[in-house]
Amino acid sequence: MTFHPDYNPMIRKIESIFMLTDEERQALQQLPMQVVSIKADQDVVREGDRPSRSCLILSGFACTYKVTSAGKRQIVSFNLPGDIPDLQSLHLKVLDNSVSTISPCSVGFIAHEALRDLCTRYPRITSAFWRETLIDAAIFREWVLNVGRREAYTRMAHVLCELLVRLRAVGLTKDYTCDLPITQAEFADALGVTNVHVNRVVQQLRADGLIELSGDRLNILDWEKLKQAGEFDSTYLHLEGKQAAA
Amino acid sequence: MTLVLQPVRVANGIDGEGMLVFDREHRLLAVLTHLSTKNEVAPGQWYLEAGFGRLEGVNHPTFADLDAAQAWIGHRLGKSH
Repeated sequence: MTFHPDYNPMIRKIESIFMLTDEERQALQQLPMQVVSIKADQDVVREGDRPSRSCLILSGFACTYKVTSAGKRQIVSFNLPGDIPDLQSLHLKVLDNSVSTISPCSVGFIAHEALRDLCTRYPRITSAFWRETLIDAAIFREWVLNVGRREAYTRMAHVLCELLVRLRAVGLTKDYTCDLPITQAEFADALGVTNVHVNRVVQQLRADGLIELSGDRLNILDWEKLKQAGEFDSTYLHLEGKQAAA
Repeated sequence: MTLVLQPVRVANGIDGEGMLVFDREHRLLAVLTHLSTKNEVAPGQWYLEAGFGRLEGVNHPTFADLDAAQAWIGHRLGKSH
């Protein structure tokens, strides 16, 4: 598949954290992948799988999650266009988490063989992928702090700030507005609180004039105040260039 | 299991009306909150705001009415004996 030259989410994502040469960009553009449309709330890969390919989110929202023996789900990160949520499976044989769509997604499956070949030919792309998985780990660390030690109101504000900055990095925001097809029940699974509690903090954030959240649309009315409410500092996202100014 | 209910106001900022739930020996088991009709996920339902002892944990269900809440609490306490 070839993308519209102006918008390839994988390249946009990598370029938000790593400087690519024209040649490297072209090699990424030509990476063979099988593109599949997947409905909302479907597993893309499951814990225990031994994948021979990695999945690139081309459009839509997905999440990485784990489940307790009693069936309770913890979403450990949201996956946005440009993300390769199971890139680690290139080196770790057995998946220790699952990835599910949240909204309908277009997913590009890239054979590990093709990724290995690309990495052999372009060692700097290996560095870029390494950097990407290191940043994924930084996001997990931030989420442990968020879920473990922050109040629900702060947790929610923090996650909304993160989503806006990450979506902006791949060109999917307009000012402080973005699509946000994440339900309150899904936020509950991500924040480790009940959906009733999520609803309370959403109502509180609205009442405080920080956000408008209706349907699938988020509008941040006061970015500085939301960042303050969420104790949000984008350093852990390690964005480069103009994205770093968020 | 006999439960004793006592109305209370809960200062959670949004849903004020609640109910304390005691056992026969007047030990506090749970605090239930009556969610407002404006609540977007479970309007008008009763929510396990806090549970103590065997009701403590991450599971905070909502109930259609107080009977359903009491049945759940009784079941949870009975099951763990």
